[in-house]
Amino acid sequence: MRIFLILVVTIGLAAVALAGPPSGKTFPYDYRLVILPNGFKAYLIKAGAPGQIAYLTVVRTGAREEWEPNKTGFAHFFEHIMFRGTDKYPDYDSVTTRIGAARNASTSADVTQYYLVAASSSLEQIIDLESDRFMNLKYSEPVFRTEAGAILGEFSQGRANPRLYLMEKLMDTAFDVHTYKHLTIGFEKDVRAMPEGYQYSIRFHERYYRPENCVLLLAGDFDVNRAEQLIRKYYSPWKPGYVMPEIKPEPPQTAPKEATAEFPGRTLPILAVAYKGPAWSATDRLAVASEVLGRVAFGPNSDIYRRLVIQDQKVQSLSAGFGLNRDPNLLTITTMINNPEDLPAIKNEIRSTVEKFRTGPCDAKLLADTKSAMRYGFLMQLETPLGIDSALREYAVFTGGVEAVEDYYRTLESVTAEDVEAAANKYLVEAGRTTVVLLPARGGAQ
Amino acid sequence: MRVVVILTLLILGLSAVAGREKSETPQGAITLSEPNSPFVAFDVWVKAGSQNDPKGKEGLAALTASLLSNSSTLQDSYPQILSKLYPIAGGYSANVDKEMTTFTGRIHRDNLDAFYGLFRNALLSPAFKEEDFKRVKAQAVNDAKQSRRFSNDEELSKELLYWQIFKGTPYEHPAQGYVASVESITLDDVKAFYSRYYTRDNVVVGVAGGYPPGFPVRVRSDFAGLRAGRVEVLPKPAPAPGDGINILIVEKNVISTPISFGFPISLLRSDPDFYAMMLANSWLGEHRESVGHLYQVIREKRGLNYGDYSYIEAFPQGYSTQIPPVNVSRRSQIFEVWLRPVAMTAPGNLHDRALFAFRAALREVAALTENGMTPEAFDTQRAYLKNYYVNFGNTVGRRLAYRLDDAFYGIPDPGFFASTPKGLDALSREQANAAIHKHLRHSGLWVVFITEDAEGLKRKLLAGVPTNITYAGKQPQAILDEDKIIAAYPVTVKEPNITVLNINDVFEK
Repeated sequence: MRIFLILVVTIGLAAVALAGPPSGKTFPYDYRLVILPNGFKAYLIKAGAPGQIAYLTVVRTGAREEWEPNKTGFAHFFEHIMFRGTDKYPDYDSVTTRIGAARNASTSADVTQYYLVAASSSLEQIIDLESDRFMNLKYSEPVFRTEAGAILGEFSQGRANPRLYLMEKLMDTAFDVHTYKHLTIGFEKDVRAMPEGYQYSIRFHERYYRPENCVLLLAGDFDVNRAEQLIRKYYSPWKPGYVMPEIKPEPPQTAPKEATAEFPGRTLPILAVAYKGPAWSATDRLAVASEVLGRVAFGPNSDIYRRLVIQDQKVQSLSAGFGLNRDPNLLTITTMINNPEDLPAIKNEIRSTVEKFRTGPCDAKLLADTKSAMRYGFLMQLETPLGIDSALREYAVFTGGVEAVEDYYRTLESVTAEDVEAAANKYLVEAGRTTVVLLPARGGAQ
Repeated sequence: MRVVVILTLLILGLSAVAGREKSETPQGAITLSEPNSPFVAFDVWVKAGSQNDPKGKEGLAALTASLLSNSSTLQDSYPQILSKLYPIAGGYSANVDKEMTTFTGRIHRDNLDAFYGLFRNALLSPAFKEEDFKRVKAQAVNDAKQSRRFSNDEELSKELLYWQIFKGTPYEHPAQGYVASVESITLDDVKAFYSRYYTRDNVVVGVAGGYPPGFPVRVRSDFAGLRAGRVEVLPKPAPAPGDGINILIVEKNVISTPISFGFPISLLRSDPDFYAMMLANSWLGEHRESVGHLYQVIREKRGLNYGDYSYIEAFPQGYSTQIPPVNVSRRSQIFEVWLRPVAMTAPGNLHDRALFAFRAALREVAALTENGMTPEAFDTQRAYLKNYYVNFGNTVGRRLAYRLDDAFYGIPDPGFFASTPKGLDALSREQANAAIHKHLRHSGLWVVFITEDAEGLKRKLLAGVPTNITYAGKQPQAILDEDKIIAAYPVTVKEPNITVLNINDVFEK
C-alpha cells in the first residue's frame, strides 16, 4: 500500500497524459456529455493527473439573480449554507474529511461554483454527497443565523481594500436598474440584515438549485462509463422547477457619469473609466473583438501602458477589465496614479486612447499576438483536473455547456483589425461612460 | 560556509539517486523530468533573502529580485521583453522570503525557447537601468507606505507577529522592508547586492516538466556564466524564548479585528517530529479548510469570523492561496494561529468579541497541548491528510519547488512531499501526542490585534474581566455553557508587556 502511494506521487502525478488535440480543436481533450431527462448536464473529461478527480458543479446563478429589493448578497450567502448538511449527511465536513477532499466554493456575478478535488476512488461517494446536498439541503434557522456572522466578517475584510471600495462605487454609479449594480458580497445594509432571511433562503434554494440550472464538470482519472451510470443513478431523482429571475435590463445610458469614492485609509488615487459593453458571446465577432480591444488598447504591450507605466512612470499600474458577463456589463480601465495632480491628464490620456482606437484599425502584429496570448492563456490553465474544470467554467455559465469553447476560439481567429475598431466605435462611447476616482478620505487617513 | 558545501553535496546526491535523470542533472541543478507534460517549469533559487539585507537597507533583497524580474536586460528593453512574453502567455516572477529568493516561470513547451531566453537574460544579464529602478522602487515605496498598512489588515497582523517574535534577529523585518529603508535604497545598493549574492556557487537552477533531452545541462552551463563567489552563511536566528503574554495592539480605524498569535518552535521539516506535528496542526487548524478544530469552534459553531487556522511553518499570503506556499524554507519557525477579522455580528462590543475569539483559540491550543489527540481524532485526521496532502503537489512547478525546499532542509530522496504518506503511516498516536507536548504551549506567547480604541482594549486586557458575547440567533445550551468558560478563560498580562502602536507608525522605520 505504501509503495503504491509513493508511486502515485512520484511517477503517477507527474505523468500528465496529453493526448494530441483532436485536429483543429483548441480544447485538447475528448469528453462525454450526459444529459438527464430532468435537464441536468454533466461533462466527463478524462484528463489530468492519474488517481485524482476534480468535481465542479456550476450553478448558473450569482449576484445577477438577486433582483428582489434588500436581498443582495444572497447567492454568496447561500454558497456558505450549502455546507450545512442534509438528513442523509448531517455533517458534510466530516464526510469530506474522511475522504481527504479539498473542497471549496465561490460566488461571482453570474455563477456559484462548488468543487471537490479528491482521489479517484472516492468518485461514488462524491457523486452521492454532492447530488444529495443539491437536492436535499436542510438547515435550521439558528445555524443560518450563525453563518451570517461569518459573512459579515468576510464583508469587512473586503471593506479594508481600496480596489473593492472603488468597484462598489463604480457599479453602483454605472447601473441604475440591472442587478450588476451591486457587488457579489452585497450592499452593507443587506449583509447586516441577513440573519433575518431564513425563509427567503429556502425560496432561493427552491428556485435556483434545480437540475436544469446546474452543470457538472468532472475532470481527471476515472471510468467514464461508471461515472455516467452513477450520475444517472444519483441525479435522476432531482426534480426540475427552475424559476427565472426577474432581472430588469439596464436601459441605454444617455450621458456620461462621474463619481468620487472616499477611502477611509491611505491610498494613491485610483481612477476607473468604464464603458457599457456587450453580453458575452462565442459567435458575435464584435463581442469577442471587444475583449481583444481591451488587451490591444490598454494591455502591457499597448502604447499607453508603455508611456504611463514604463516611460513617464506617472502611474503604478494600468489594467483593462474587458472580460464579458452573461448580461451586458462594464469594460473598465483601471489605473493607480502616483501624483494626484496628474489625474486630469491621465483621464485625458485614456480618453484619447479610446478615440484613437475608434478612428483607425489596430496594429496587425499586436492583434495576432493578442490572439496567440488568449489561446495560450487558455491552454496554460489545463494542467490539473481543477484547472481544466476552471478553464471550461465560463462556457458552462454563459451557455449551459462547454461546446462553445471551439466556437469562441474560431470567432477569435476571425477577428480583424476592422472588427476591433468597430467594437471600439460601438461600445467605447461617451454617453455610456462612467468615471470614478477613489481618493483617501479627507482627514480620514489616520 | 559549511551549509553551502552540504547543499552542494546534497544536490549531487539528489541527482545520483534520480536514476535515469542522472546524466541529465548537472551539479548546481535540480531536475524533475515529466516527459509527457506539455509544460516546463523553472525555479531558480538564490541562497539569500531578507535576512541578508544590510541594516538600514531592509527590503534590498526584495527590491533586487523585483527589479530583475521587471526590467530591461542587456539584450532587450523592458517593453521588448513584455512584447515577446505576450504572445506566448509567458511570465516570470520573483519571491523573496527570509532566507530564499526564487525566480519562477512556467511555459507551454511549444514556446520553451522563446521563454527561456528571456528568463535567462533577466537573471544573468540585467541592464540595471536607472529608469527601470525608479519605476520598481516607486511600486515598492507605495506598497510600504500605503498598501501594506491600508489594504489587508490580516496579512499585516501576521507580518507584525513575526516582527515581534524575531526582534533583534535577521528575521525581524518584513521582506518588503520599512518605509524609510526602502526609500533609502539606491541602484548602486541593488548592484552590490546582486554582485555579492547572485553568484554561480550560490544559485541552484530547477527545471521540471516536458523539457527536451539535454536541456538542464544547457541551463546550468548558462548559469555558470555568473561570477564565482561563495557566500557566508549567517547564524541561525535565535528568537527570545518568551515570557508570559506579550501583546501588540495596533490602533486603526477598522470595523473588524484580525488577531494573530504564536511563539517560536524549534521544529523544522527535516525533524523526526515533523509529520507528527503536521498531523496535529492539521487537526487543530488546517489552512482554509473547515476540518480544523479552531474553525469548528470559532466559525462553524459560533460564526464569530470567516476562518481560524494554525501553522507550524511560515505561511505568507495565506489569504490568497488554499495550499501551502513553497520556497519559504526557514531555519527558524514559529507556531502561529491566524484568526480572521472578528466583526460585530450581534449586539455588544467589538473588543469583547475579539478577546472572546482569542480566548477560545488559546483554550483550544491549551487543551491540545495538555490532552493530545483522541484515538478517533488521530485516525480520522491521518486518513484525511494522506489524501489531502496530494493537492500540495498539484502542478509541475510545485513538485519542483518541493525538491528545492528538500535541498534547503537536507531532506534525502524521494523528498518531503513524496514521503508524506509513509511518514504519516509510520506514526503512532503516542508519538504524535509526545510531539505535541514537546512543541506546543499556551504561555510565552506573542499576540497582535488591529483595532479601534487600542487603549480601551489594553484596559480591558489588564482588568482581566470576562468578555461575554451575544449571538444573532439562538444557540444550544451546551454552547452557551461553554461560552461562560471561554469568556472567563484566564489571560494574564502585565502592563509593560502591552505595546500600543498607531497604524501610521507601523513598519515606518
